Amino acid sequence: MEKITLTNNLALQHDDVQVKKSACFFCHQNCGVLAYVKDGKVVDIEGDPDHFTNRGGLCSRGIIALKNLDHPARINHPLHRVGERGEGKWEQIPWHQALDEIAEKLVKIRDKFGPEAVATAGGTQRTDDWARRRFMNLFGSPNSFHNAHLCWIPTFMVETAIYGWCPFDMDLGNSRCLVLWGHNPGASYMPVMRGISDLKDNGLKVIVIDPRFTETAAKADLWLPLRPGSDAALALAWLNVIIWEGLYDQQFIENCCVGFDELAQHVQGFTPEWAAPLTWLDEDLIRQGAHMYANNKPGNIQWGVAVDQIGTPAGAAMHARALLRAVTGNLDAPGSDLLTGPSPDFITDEEMEANEWLTNEQKAKQLGSDKYKLTTWPGYGRIAELTREVWGKAPTAEWMCEAHPPTVFNAILSGEPYPVKALITLATNPVNSYGDSQRVLEALRAVDFLVSMEYWKTPSAMLADYILPAAGWLERPTITSTYGCSDFVIASQRAIQPMYERHTDYQFWRGLALRLGQEEMWPWENLEEAFYYRIYPLGYDISGYDEFVEQYRFHFPEREYYKYARLGFATPSRRVELYSSTLEELGYSPMPEYVGPAENEIDHPEVAEEYPLVLTTGGGFMPYYHSEHFQIKELRFLRHEPQVQINSATAAELEIEEGDWVWIETRRGRIKQKANLTQAVHPKVVVTQRGWWYPEREAKEPGLGGCLESNTNVLTSIEDEHCDPIGGSWANRGLLCKVYKVNGTMEEVN
Amino acid sequence: MARYVIVLDTRRCIGCHSCTVACKINKDLPVDMIYNPVTIVGPSGVFPNLHMTHIPLLCMQCDNPPCVDCCPTGASQQRDDGIVWVDEDKCVGCKACVMSCPYGARVPNPAKGIVQKCDFCMDRVELGEEPFCVKTCHQRARIFGDLENPTSEVYKLVNSEHVLRLLPELGTEPHAFYIMD
Amino acid sequence: MKHKEDVWGWMLAVDFFFVGMGGGMLVVTGLAGLFLRPGVTSLLGNFAAPLFISIGAGFLILELGRPLQAWRVFLNPKAILTIGAWNMLVAIGCGLLYASFGIPGIPWADWAVLQQILAFVCVIVGLVVATYPGFLLGWHKARPFWTGPGIIGLFLISSLVTGISAHILAGAILSPISSKLLNSMPGLLAGLLSLQLVLWVGYILVKRTGTTDREAIAVADWINGELALAFWGGLICLGTLLPLILLLLTSETAHTIGALLVILGGALMRWMVVRSGEHRTWLPGEQYYLSKLPEGDEAFLNVWDY
Repeated sequence: MEKITLTNNLALQHDDVQVKKSACFFCHQNCGVLAYVKDGKVVDIEGDPDHFTNRGGLCSRGIIALKNLDHPARINHPLHRVGERGEGKWEQIPWHQALDEIAEKLVKIRDKFGPEAVATAGGTQRTDDWARRRFMNLFGSPNSFHNAHLCWIPTFMVETAIYGWCPFDMDLGNSRCLVLWGHNPGASYMPVMRGISDLKDNGLKVIVIDPRFTETAAKADLWLPLRPGSDAALALAWLNVIIWEGLYDQQFIENCCVGFDELAQHVQGFTPEWAAPLTWLDEDLIRQGAHMYANNKPGNIQWGVAVDQIGTPAGAAMHARALLRAVTGNLDAPGSDLLTGPSPDFITDEEMEANEWLTNEQKAKQLGSDKYKLTTWPGYGRIAELTREVWGKAPTAEWMCEAHPPTVFNAILSGEPYPVKALITLATNPVNSYGDSQRVLEALRAVDFLVSMEYWKTPSAMLADYILPAAGWLERPTITSTYGCSDFVIASQRAIQPMYERHTDYQFWRGLALRLGQEEMWPWENLEEAFYYRIYPLGYDISGYDEFVEQYRFHFPEREYYKYARLGFATPSRRVELYSSTLEELGYSPMPEYVGPAENEIDHPEVAEEYPLVLTTGGGFMPYYHSEHFQIKELRFLRHEPQVQINSATAAELEIEEGDWVWIETRRGRIKQKANLTQAVHPKVVVTQRGWWYPEREAKEPGLGGCLESNTNVLTSIEDEHCDPIGGSWANRGLLCKVYKVNGTMEEVN
Repeated sequence: MARYVIVLDTRRCIGCHSCTVACKINKDLPVDMIYNPVTIVGPSGVFPNLHMTHIPLLCMQCDNPPCVDCCPTGASQQRDDGIVWVDEDKCVGCKACVMSCPYGARVPNPAKGIVQKCDFCMDRVELGEEPFCVKTCHQRARIFGDLENPTSEVYKLVNSEHVLRLLPELGTEPHAFYIMD
Repeated sequence: MKHKEDVWGWMLAVDFFFVGMGGGMLVVTGLAGLFLRPGVTSLLGNFAAPLFISIGAGFLILELGRPLQAWRVFLNPKAILTIGAWNMLVAIGCGLLYASFGIPGIPWADWAVLQQILAFVCVIVGLVVATYPGFLLGWHKARPFWTGPGIIGLFLISSLVTGISAHILAGAILSPISSKLLNSMPGLLAGLLSLQLVLWVGYILVKRTGTTDREAIAVADWINGELALAFWGGLICLGTLLPLILLLLTSETAHTIGALLVILGGALMRWMVVRSGEHRTWLPGEQYYLSKLPEGDEAFLNVWDY
């Protein structure tokens, strides 16, 4: 097809070209994309200049959308496995047959083992998760999960326990200081980075807490390169400085908090001098950071997923970090982190989940809920109760209240505490993204019934019994609302109907639901109808979802600061609980304890002897996103091999040169990546890149697309001892490892 | 008469390579042709006292373009507004321009047997739009405009910020201006 | 990957070699015809001159991305390459025409005035052909090994020594009418080889303490890097010093071998110079960026057809 130069203006002059207001979801920024559609085909795309998030910009991932849309390796028809699992032999079958057979199988499993024997796995926020939860609730299974434990959710729940909602909406325009704690927008969230640069021009101070000298750290006013996994010590030391040097917000504490005295006593010993050897930071630097945040008010602490990924100390670290906002009064004030609460104006995700249909008996069977209470029904139930009392609504259950993934994988393998016989995966490549890939692979191979809804034949999908073709973002409408917890909604429409036989996951869940007696609960025939139902209460003069997108696009409520004056905080005491009664109720420490990194040289010296270096991993980097885009040639060309960052001096000691293939090994296993010698990390720190697999190789057994060769999750740990007892986060970061050269020619990892 | 230039703000560039990919997609280039690489200098220094800069490179649209002077067929030309472009019908792929450009901005296309280059998205500029790489940059690290227009952003930046050009000693008079920290 | 093929390659080196040798031969032929008498240079040598230039031009055409459009290179009078192309055309024409005067029975054999004019023109165009590659390369400010006037002399001298050597070889195969000039050629060649030696050593020294670091980096290849063996062993020893000694001996065999070595040295020199053109005025971070790009044969570039 001839290349047409289309811009917003020019397109309007072509009668036969429609302009659709789509949104990219290759990351959570959901940048607005104008899709130019002619004869039912998308002929061009560009960033939407009128979308306030990206204002016309579009990163390398969004830009290649058309290469992704009709890539020759995309799955376009439902497939049913013939031959052995993983053999890669498929027969194409029609959708209705696939759904019939899957539904039948699910019923058999439910009848024999109970609905809890069916689990679903997701990955990043990509799908219509509320629809998934709706189905699972009505089916009777409490076992749906995502990578939630690695992705902000424990933070959300800890913060909601303390101050009644998670203040993820930052009033940056009026801010004087921004702390980026384990977050690198310079390589992951392009629009956020632009915002930061703009605000720096106006005097915003930026503190970056990150073991790596990242793109963002390079532009910060202060960089704290802490030992991976030592965030708890740093946060406690900051609390110590802010409280004991009198930098706290007296008025806010008196009027809005409880437990200050207890907290003050509790943190008295956690001085910067105490924290320095634990964090590998100079005590003056620790102090400097605390001063900068406390003295430049109002200020913000931007969450990043790093603290959710440190395993054992995760809960303690996010708890201590959360208290920083409270003691400085940086909550719901202009320029600070806003407690926007759930939206009263439109129908939230949670309201679409039909949670009331899941019986208490079934809730009690949620895997992991006996141990990791905060992010499962015990904790979620209590917190939802509290938020309903104050805000009138609850956070999204699909994300905030999930089965514990390692527990599910273990149940598949061992049958304890009860067998899990079916796993349905959407928007995830579990062997790539869940902890301890070898264990996950075992589970995928062992589970009786595996269904995958996918874009690509990933190694995980290759092991499935059925693969269903998923529609991408140009082929479906999208509502952006921060895991269903924002008070705003941004609406985007589909550019075209799904190509070939692809469907949205909504259609998948509804298709199963209709076959399993749930039809009354699924009146909306497609997503546009469901979305219209949800935004209708906003009161706009529209007769359909697309009209809302075309004419309004966003809904932002009026900003109201200090809502707590009117409502109180959604905690038992209606105050910010520096001494958290909710956490205490659940059996956890009401104040953050010090917990060391999951594997560390002080607590585990015998491990450190064999594994002397410290591993961190999982950070995003352009132009990939988890396991996506390795098959897009235009992107792969720019970064075609996995790289591990290792300090130049350390590399010299190990006789490793730039570009050498090296093994990185932990107690779980080893992978190989290419050495990138740099000063960007501490001499004892090693940083592997996430996501790597080799789609150019066949994804079937035995090679499985090289999914264990350079995949950093081979190194991570889901052992009980490495999971945070509060939220269940397993350990991706702050682990002990060793590094050595790959000898001779490339050996295959078996 | 206009004189189009580009300003690269390295204080804002984060090396995401979106401009590189966007150009390739917009121009429908083969995978291995790159008009505008973004390089990295650093991290320099010793941990933890470090410094890092990303340098977006592209055709400098010089006032004394050696690639135009050396072209035996006259395919390489410069417009009055400064844009240096290649008339693909006239190019025979002798690569004299490739050898003469100090900035590596001339890119052979073996499939077509010619040499191509960034042309500031002439087709877009003629419609009053910005080059695609400028438009797509989230960071607003690329600023495009008419240097002869005193109200333009580029005019203000070139005349007020600490800007420098690459390899000025070679006498090519490059018209891509870099704002450094 | 592609960045490795960005530059002029061996075909340019072959072109430079043949046109240089042919140009040098043409100068000798022309000068001999002007100041001595026609026929003191071998007929084979006279025809070889424009023939070699044609071969060189042929490689030039083959190097093009679109060889069938080669006629376009004559179109931009401001470009050095265009001037060079026209000049080569004239050189080939005049060289052939002048050489034809030596064919027995040719109709214009006694148009002496024309022959003198042609000889004169041959000298001029021959000098241009011999020199202009050096001029072309020296103009490239972007290529640190090439830039500057010094390389002009190196190409001129190389063209002359290879040209004379070729005439010696041609004369050994097909004798000229009078051997007077042929007998002086070894001595003349030896003298020019000494000059070549001096010029090269001087060039390397000047580049080593060049105005920029880049020049020093580029010339390091020649002194003790990738090209060191080819330079010291090949061009200097086998291509200049050894033939110099051989040419001072009296044996005709020694002279023949010496001439052959000089020609090989000339070819080697052109190849090394073109190779050295890979060094550019690199920009910050550029070499690191290019070093990380794929080679081009990787599976992920070829497995998916879109």
